[in-house]
Amino acid sequence: MSENVRIVIALVRRALNEIARVPGAAIPGVLAPTIFMIGLSAVFGRAAHLSFYHATSFRTFIVPVGFLQGASFTGAATGVNLARDIEQGWFDRLLLSPTPRITLLAGLVASAAVRALMPASFLLAVAVLWGVHWPGLLALLLAAVLVMGLAAVMAFWGVTVALRARTQQAAPLMQIAGFIAVLFTTAYAPRQGLTGWLSTVSRINPVTHVLEGVRQGFTETLSWGQTWPALVSLAGLLVLFGALAVRSMLRTGVSA
Amino acid sequence: MGDAGRVPRDPRRAVAGSLYTLLRTVDVAVEAQGLEREFKGAIKAVAGIDLAVDAGEVYGFLGPNGAGKTTTVRMLVTLLRPTGGRARVAGFDVARQPAQVRRRIGVALQEAALDLLMTGRELIELQATLHGIPKRAVRERGAELIERVGLSDAQDRRVGTYSGGMRRRLDLAMALIHEPAVLFLDEPTTGLDPASRLTLWEEVRRLKHEGTTVFLTTQYLEEADQLADRVGIIDSGKLVVEGTPSALKAQVGSPHLDVTLTSSDGAAAARQALGAFGQLRPPDAGCHVSVAVREGSSAIAPVVRALDEAGLEIASLELIEPTLDDVFLAKTGHHLEGEDAAEQGERDPYGEEAPLVQASADGHAPR
Amino acid sequence: MRVTIALARRALRNSLRRPQLLAPMIIFPSLMLAVNVGGLSHTTTLPGFPRVHGFLDFQLAAAILQSLLLAGVQLGIAVALEIEGGFFDRLAAAPIPRVSIVLGRLLAGGVIAIAQVVYFLVAGLVFGAQIQAGAGGFALVVAIGAIAGTGFGAIGMVLALRAKNASMVQGIFPLVFVVLFISSAFFPRGLLSSPADAVAAYNPLSYIADGMRNPIIAAISPSAVLEGLAAAAAVALVASVLSVLALRGRLREA
Repeated sequence: MSENVRIVIALVRRALNEIARVPGAAIPGVLAPTIFMIGLSAVFGRAAHLSFYHATSFRTFIVPVGFLQGASFTGAATGVNLARDIEQGWFDRLLLSPTPRITLLAGLVASAAVRALMPASFLLAVAVLWGVHWPGLLALLLAAVLVMGLAAVMAFWGVTVALRARTQQAAPLMQIAGFIAVLFTTAYAPRQGLTGWLSTVSRINPVTHVLEGVRQGFTETLSWGQTWPALVSLAGLLVLFGALAVRSMLRTGVSA
Repeated sequence: MGDAGRVPRDPRRAVAGSLYTLLRTVDVAVEAQGLEREFKGAIKAVAGIDLAVDAGEVYGFLGPNGAGKTTTVRMLVTLLRPTGGRARVAGFDVARQPAQVRRRIGVALQEAALDLLMTGRELIELQATLHGIPKRAVRERGAELIERVGLSDAQDRRVGTYSGGMRRRLDLAMALIHEPAVLFLDEPTTGLDPASRLTLWEEVRRLKHEGTTVFLTTQYLEEADQLADRVGIIDSGKLVVEGTPSALKAQVGSPHLDVTLTSSDGAAAARQALGAFGQLRPPDAGCHVSVAVREGSSAIAPVVRALDEAGLEIASLELIEPTLDDVFLAKTGHHLEGEDAAEQGERDPYGEEAPLVQASADGHAPR
Repeated sequence: MRVTIALARRALRNSLRRPQLLAPMIIFPSLMLAVNVGGLSHTTTLPGFPRVHGFLDFQLAAAILQSLLLAGVQLGIAVALEIEGGFFDRLAAAPIPRVSIVLGRLLAGGVIAIAQVVYFLVAGLVFGAQIQAGAGGFALVVAIGAIAGTGFGAIGMVLALRAKNASMVQGIFPLVFVVLFISSAFFPRGLLSSPADAVAAYNPLSYIADGMRNPIIAAISPSAVLEGLAAAAAVALVASVLSVLALRGRLREA
């Protein structure tokens, strides 16, 4: 196993270790998407009576939103944790090791991607028990890829903000981006149901494609026509936010 | 090619020259030339520092809070890019070859930054992985260092339960995991109790004995005096003076003996008796006599004998030696540890007596 | 009273000096409002939905309530931080009536609540909402909001005095959404799914939301407004008493 892979695994283990030792701190992040799913379904469930939902139950429609919310919370939390590590000096220790900066970044982002599976798994279990349509393994595999990818995107964003602001007080900035990215989409209604500005923004927002990519397995069957836009959008986001994070990382201290 | 006028180079001499350059580079463990760091708002935290630390030396980098010590160290350990000048550590340029520098240095920064949720052993093994130590060797090396710093009993406890002294020792062990050639210790004893401070000092001495170069920043005069082969004093971002502690102190004066007699009647006789030992200092009160004694403490016995022979009774006698604070005062016009601290004197920078016995290495923390 | 006002002014000043802590309680509800309105406007055509000028008008009360609840959590965090930092003990040791420590904070919470309600109403008007009951209706919404906001602040205070650390109070954050979701804040009670509709009938937040919503979407209905005022007052009264008791308990322990 290459040295860099060993380091990435060690950093992921450290991040998971935090969840295992202070579960209380992780619980809100794991539960929040499920609470939102249950809450939104209870409140807005009747909205699915509108024709453009095509008889899909609101809770089935909203489950994929919960997946992406979990990914976005986890990504932002990676940024907040990094800001805390910067404040407390732990990050200096990582920077002082001869590990390439890119490997450190990969460790942070990989931990976000792995952690994002926790809220998603919990949500899936609750949703299926609550009668949400079982999407099949292939659709779940695609959903896992998209969830992990979006968590990585949000972690890149969180890392970029944390390295610039160097304080946990920047947490809202890390969280709001994910909130906007996930909800300014077809989160609550299909495109025909969106009104005014949200209809326009959701069309431009690449996360809409990612959401539709996750949703297809729940509301219909998998199709390449909805899969490739999701993967391409995610790849674009990864490249864009990855570049920003790499740039910030290389500007931290002295790098070569 | 126009080589006619050139003396052909002896290949053996060329090799010797390169070797000399190489050895010279390695001999100097830390070298800075005109090192500068300017922050936003044109604040120059470090304003052109030149220094050279030889391999195997303990170099004390001394200065008050805000003098630029930490900024200098952060540049030397590649955490901060210099805005001027250059620096080489372990033979490599900090700005151009940071990865090579990082492979050869160990760093224990101020306020030991540790993950409080991890155990000591997990932390040290993570550090070993970060330094590319092969998987097989990670455990062995970790255990060896944990034992060395006396944390074997606490290695499976979360670091959050460690005392301040234990955390610093763990920090030190982590800094040593890859057997660095140069060790940077940034204020390693700030905030520690006297017992933990002594344990850390002992470890620094041991490292020096093993040949590790130690770059030690401190605001405590006694620490620099006790540990450093040479001291560099920094103030307002500039290195104001550099040398061995004894040479620096000799620059500002010699030790003197302050004698207080039981009665002021014998003052004149005492001045006469002590005049033979060195220059008398101006008298301040009736029963006090002060004389410069170049020999320091070895002059005490003869002085006592001389006063006794003159039939004078001594109430108290104190040997006053120049301190690094006197050096600092002479070079900068102000005290190193602030007016209040200076009054307490450098022998007691922590405001309490250091214990005579050394602390046990296993330490304990509140659970 | 002078001490209470002085402490309230101090709490207000501290809040204003840390806009990064105030911002989330405006920004998150504003974003939720925008998303709900953009995504679910067509629900006003569902059978059983009251006649409204627009879905934004209907959702304003939900956004206000959400913001006030977040402010309550924020107040709790501020108090917990003061306890952690030792400033609270300094206040407790001062020769002032203990109750003024609680009342000062709550007064500041009430003032901030008024500002929050006014912000959302003005923002709503800017984006096309209408307040059907006019200026009087506007004043009624502000009044219910101020009382409810004070009550939520008192709940935050109780949590802080009991938990004594900020991160625990912060952990309450998701709970804010739970209690909101089981009320009629976001959607008409008759259209909520079971069992949320049944729970909402007993949730005081439903009455506070409906009380604030009534003057916005229709002519004033005394019963809805009075129920809103009564629910807000009950929350404020009970929580204030509990916070004074929690303070006493804490001082006894100390």
